[in-house]
Amino acid sequence: MTSMTLTPTTDELESLVGRQFPGGTYAVEPWRVWLTNDVIGAPQRTDGVAHPMFCYYAAMAGLGISIDEMFTLCYASADDGPMFGECDIQQLRPLEIGATYTVRGEITSAVRKQGTRTGTFDIVAFQLEVIAPDGEVSSIVSNSFIFPRRPQ
Amino acid sequence: MSTVPDPSIGDELPRLVIEAVDAEKMKTMAALLGDSNPIHWDVATVRELGMGDQPVNQGPNNLGYVMNMLGGWAGGAERIQEIRVRFLDNVFAGDCLEAGGTVTAIGDDGAVECDVWLARDGTHPVLAGTATVSLV
Repeated sequence: MTSMTLTPTTDELESLVGRQFPGGTYAVEPWRVWLTNDVIGAPQRTDGVAHPMFCYYAAMAGLGISIDEMFTLCYASADDGPMFGECDIQQLRPLEIGATYTVRGEITSAVRKQGTRTGTFDIVAFQLEVIAPDGEVSSIVSNSFIFPRRPQ
Repeated sequence: MSTVPDPSIGDELPRLVIEAVDAEKMKTMAALLGDSNPIHWDVATVRELGMGDQPVNQGPNNLGYVMNMLGGWAGGAERIQEIRVRFLDNVFAGDCLEAGGTVTAIGDDGAVECDVWLARDGTHPVLAGTATVSLV
């Protein structure tokens, strides 16, 4: 059985804005690139350029907390059925296979919505920068998650 | 690499078809991402949540298909400068998907703006957004 997490108050929800993630690093490892290309049906390249989805994977893996911890931070769990909202990926410079990137970022918005069919849900957005070994920002990833909430 | 296109506003991008989304590849991606959300592999949880009776594809996979479509057209996925999408509906194991797009603007700097989409059975939209692709 699964059960939904208690719904946060609007104050608790809004207090998430500005929260910085611990950050960390992400290595674009060749085996991970191969498997990812296989999953999404992308060509296996030999020129050292990673698929642009690695902008997203690097950002998410390098933010310093797991997806589960992200859900917990947002007063939710995987059992609540969280979903993707919007996703914006800027690929300023393609990520290179074998390179290690630094990631930093923060929560940029947290709002409560009411849907006629879906009931109460929260949208939490965050922005992450993926920084190359030379210090240049290679990618900026802005994401949001939708968290279904139980009726209050 | 493939040739770089010479687009005009209104051109439709060559469509990419995914014949059937593979449940086993969702498991691989869940492991790669460390994503413990059971909707990607546990049919019982999917049913309990009232989401149907097939595993739900990871959102990033759906975005990846659209990037593949763009990269195939533009001469390489590294030419994608920005892509912004909304996830409109779930994709389930076994679904047939089609990715496509339309050129909406062409800049003097060679940047091409496109509307992009991913649809189930070619008609039901599951992802939509915009992309900027550099063709220089």
